[in-house]
Amino acid sequence: MQNLEDLKEQVRKALPELDVVIGWTGGYDPLHATPHFIRRDEDIDKLQVNALCVHNLATYLPSMRGKKVGIIVKGCDSRSVVELLQEKLIDREDVTIFGFGCTGVVDQTKIRRIVGDVGNIDSCEVSGSEVKVSASGTEHKLAMSDVLSEKCATCRYPNAVLSDHFAGAEITSTATFEDGYKDVVEFEEKPEEEKFGFWLKEMDRCIRCYACRNACPMCVCRDHCVAQSRDPHWLSQEAHVRDKWMFQVIHAYHLAGRCTECGECQRACPVDIPILLFKKKMNKEIKEVFDYEAGINPDATPPLMTFKAEEDKITERKW
Amino acid sequence: MKIGVFVCHCGTNIEGTVDTAAVAAASREFPGVVFATDTMYACSEPGQDGIIEAIKEHKLDGVVVASCTPRMHEPTFRRTLERAGLNRYLFEMANIREHVSWIGKDREANTNKSADLVRMAAAKLLKNRPLFSKQFPVNKSVMVVGGGVAGIQAALDCANGGLKVVLVEKDTTIGGKMAKLDKTFPTVDCSSCVLGPLMVDVAQHPNINLHAYSEIEEVNGYVGNFEIKVKKKASYVDWDACTGCGLCVEKCPSRKATDFFNEKLATTKAINIPFPQAIPKKAKIDPDFCMKIQKDKCGVCAKVCPSEAIDFTQKDEFITENVGAVVAATGFDLFDWTVYGQYGGGKYPDVITSLQYERMLSASGPSEGHIKRPSDGKEPKNVVFIQCVGSRDKSVGRPYCSGFCCMYTAKQTILTKDHIPDSQSHVFYMDIRSPGKLYDEFTRRAMEEYGANYIRGRVSMIYPKGDNLVVRGADTLMGAQVEIDADLVVLAVGAEASVGATDLAKKLRISYDAYGFFMEGHPKLKPVETNTAGVYLAGACQGPKDIPASVAQGSAAASKVLGLFSQDMLASDPQVSVVDIKRCIGCGKCIQTCPFGAIKEIDFRGMKKADVIETICQGCGICTSTCPQGAVQLQHFTDNQILAEVNAICRF
Ligand SMILES: Cc1cc2nc3c(=O)[nH]c(=O)nc-3n(C[C@H](O)[C@H](O)[C@H](O)COP(=O)(O)OP(=O)(O)OC[C@H]3O[C@@H](n4cnc5c(N)ncnc54)[C@H](O)[C@@H]3O)c2cc1C
Ligand code: SF4
Ligand code: SF4
Ligand code: SF4
Ligand code: SF4
Ligand code: SF4
Repeated sequence: MQNLEDLKEQVRKALPELDVVIGWTGGYDPLHATPHFIRRDEDIDKLQVNALCVHNLATYLPSMRGKKVGIIVKGCDSRSVVELLQEKLIDREDVTIFGFGCTGVVDQTKIRRIVGDVGNIDSCEVSGSEVKVSASGTEHKLAMSDVLSEKCATCRYPNAVLSDHFAGAEITSTATFEDGYKDVVEFEEKPEEEKFGFWLKEMDRCIRCYACRNACPMCVCRDHCVAQSRDPHWLSQEAHVRDKWMFQVIHAYHLAGRCTECGECQRACPVDIPILLFKKKMNKEIKEVFDYEAGINPDATPPLMTFKAEEDKITERKW
Repeated sequence: MKIGVFVCHCGTNIEGTVDTAAVAAASREFPGVVFATDTMYACSEPGQDGIIEAIKEHKLDGVVVASCTPRMHEPTFRRTLERAGLNRYLFEMANIREHVSWIGKDREANTNKSADLVRMAAAKLLKNRPLFSKQFPVNKSVMVVGGGVAGIQAALDCANGGLKVVLVEKDTTIGGKMAKLDKTFPTVDCSSCVLGPLMVDVAQHPNINLHAYSEIEEVNGYVGNFEIKVKKKASYVDWDACTGCGLCVEKCPSRKATDFFNEKLATTKAINIPFPQAIPKKAKIDPDFCMKIQKDKCGVCAKVCPSEAIDFTQKDEFITENVGAVVAATGFDLFDWTVYGQYGGGKYPDVITSLQYERMLSASGPSEGHIKRPSDGKEPKNVVFIQCVGSRDKSVGRPYCSGFCCMYTAKQTILTKDHIPDSQSHVFYMDIRSPGKLYDEFTRRAMEEYGANYIRGRVSMIYPKGDNLVVRGADTLMGAQVEIDADLVVLAVGAEASVGATDLAKKLRISYDAYGFFMEGHPKLKPVETNTAGVYLAGACQGPKDIPASVAQGSAAASKVLGLFSQDMLASDPQVSVVDIKRCIGCGKCIQTCPFGAIKEIDFRGMKKADVIETICQGCGICTSTCPQGAVQLQHFTDNQILAEVNAICRF
């Protein structure tokens, strides 16, 4: 990021008023970043902001309610913050949002697929166009376009949609809504059996670790999730694809009109199930039926949190 | 749980296409079922006794009856269980008549489906828990909304029954449409002569408190204990002081105000009393036309008013009324007929509505009972009536019949002849609908005695010719096109829900149909009830209705209210939502979606939680489908109960 110093300066100024500022720093190896909790001035120096900063830090906010929290957000992350505000799960006066223009983050799965299981990473350099990884003595030069996260390739909100501080210049995006849902349209057009077969195969891999759920900034139920309850008893603990798939369907339904497509669920999945597709499908429907996108306007009410006897685009009373 | 299953023959209604004995035999294999039998008529006295005996003999603690729809007999069987000492909610009904025997002929398939339905009912029953009602006190007063003839009747009957009544009318006077009518079918008696005394009774009744020129602002509470905020709109006249002498009206120099009571046939003064028999007889200023309010000039009314009642600074006032029940009687309004280009779309002054014609015929109307064309004041000789304008016409979104137009058109042809003996009426009609007592005789009289010329067919256009109009239409009986010269055209404009009806419905939490008419609880068996306890319907607000039917409904609604209030305490329905405090994370989603405002936020040991107010909850289940983790559950329809049914039928 070009204006890291500006951002650090903004954080430094705001820190005395805050309990913590959440950002990113170097992780367990040079190829990975990790969330970073800044409480003291010296923590600020370790702040890292680049294409490795994949985590959506908004996930931490609901559990820190009541504290004064600063949060550094990419464009997509800011939508989660807004959605949390919309649902009154966090309080505006307690969060300070540090935004910047994001040029995209990498997809570690893509890197792994190209580079293979490389063992120890010696170094990693990230620029706007390239990721240079050197591992076990070999250097790999990866074009950013090959390892960029899918969501970033069609990102419409690269700048924080809501912020108290903004570092650097805004980035312009030319992507359209349709660009972002090409994969959904493509999938929709497949024959039923093929779609069914696809999910049967994909979902069968699920190990029900619930990493997808725990990573999701909007999944605030956590320990109270229906997936792990007997009363109500929606799912059994059987290792059958039926229950695994049902869990994802429930997750998608609970996120309908709330999901901001940060992609954390899919990123967290240890077995690479493309579960974001479920949520994108729901969002596409929500857009068509309610003309609504989650996490854009802090004052808007998510459609499924309202009750109207008559919806504009749902004609139940056609008899 | 020990479950007993009773499979009903319903005579041959069910047994005709379902092998009930086989269903009973299959049921014996279902989890929990210890006893199963078929029975001739489960609901009959011997049928119910059989159930009670079986409960005692086999020590049953749950019962499934496989028979008809629960709408009718669920209460019957619940009482049977109570007589046998069981809780009424340890009962389930499988509908194998409407859902099986009446809709399929294949005996084997029907028998299998019936067994599946019993399996589902038994599976749910295993998850049922006894539920108990709570008792709460009733406020024995009633609010009637709308002072048309239906509302007046309801208010008087309730008041005579000893109840305190609050009557809320949005206009400055009660009376509704009937007050505007000249004579009424089928007796052709004078409308205001029959309605007038009732209106006076309302004004004088010690039990009736009338808020005219008022509307419902907000409704809170529930059956037995509603709290209703009423907006008393500013009339700029202190009604406590105003005696209705009319001096102000006489002296007011502003004469161009819209005369709504006379259906805009004429104009009126800025300060006005709609008609001599108005109840209450109070003046009201139309601020749009008052020179004092608009330009700070004039003020004549204030000067002449002997009781100093004029108050140019008056503001809307809000009051709160506490009542135990509500009767909605907001009537109807006329369809906006100007969408019909073929009738001139409003550009010909001599094409008028039926209600305008009533005002023309009325001795208290702007022309004092003389029929005069709006264009030149001449007396018409050829009057053409067009029926079904905005009724039975899908193309304008009004497929329903307005019910009373055939009859009042016949009445208006008779009155036309009475007023102008050398006149000729022509009526374009689709069918004549006159099924009431003495109704068909009445329409025949219009044709045979009064010589009205009835032409079966639609009008394709009205066009001007000189001073007159030509009505072109089809005569479908003759198979010919006809053109009739008309001095005046009267459109029998159809009825639609009154302006603002749907807003009121939302406040009262009652349903309405696609056209805004309020929905009755059951089309046959609950014609004046709604799906909200304590809210009743009367008159044309439920669908177009003539005066006798509106009055009958007014009385019917009153009898329902009196029945409700015959008890001092009401029992709450325990089929309401309950929050499991351990599972609730206090996200507040349910609070936002509950359409009845039945959920509030509470503080539980420093944590935010949701809590359902039992008496307000209507058991709609919206909250349960909103809550992501299923923390709020509708009693008797919990997720686990529904899942048990699903699992019983989707076995793999
Ligand atoms: C031209 C014409 C001629 C007719 N002739 C006859 C006839 O000869 N014989 C016959 O039997 N029937 C006749 N009818 C039908 C008759 O008018 C109705 O049956 C009758 O008026 C229905 O009474 P109601 O009280 O239900 O409704 P309405 O008369 O419409 O009264 C409703 C009342 O509620 C008030 N109101 C509405 N909304 C609100 C609100 N939100 N809050 C408070 N108050 C509200 C209105 O101001 C009105 O006073 C005729 C109808 C028309 C149009
Ligand atoms: S469902 Fe996935 S993409 Fe959507 S908000 Fe949650 S983590 Fe992000
Ligand atoms: S993260 Fe992947 S494996 Fe784990 S529960 Fe979710 S979908 Fe299944
Ligand atoms: S003040 Fe207004 S209402 Fe009164 S007389 Fe003048 S114009 Fe009429
Ligand atoms: S069931 Fe839930 S949403 Fe419906 S009225 Fe009761 S509390 Fe409200
Ligand atoms: S939606 Fe569920 S978790 Fe949220 S407040 Fe209501 S009951 Fe509690």
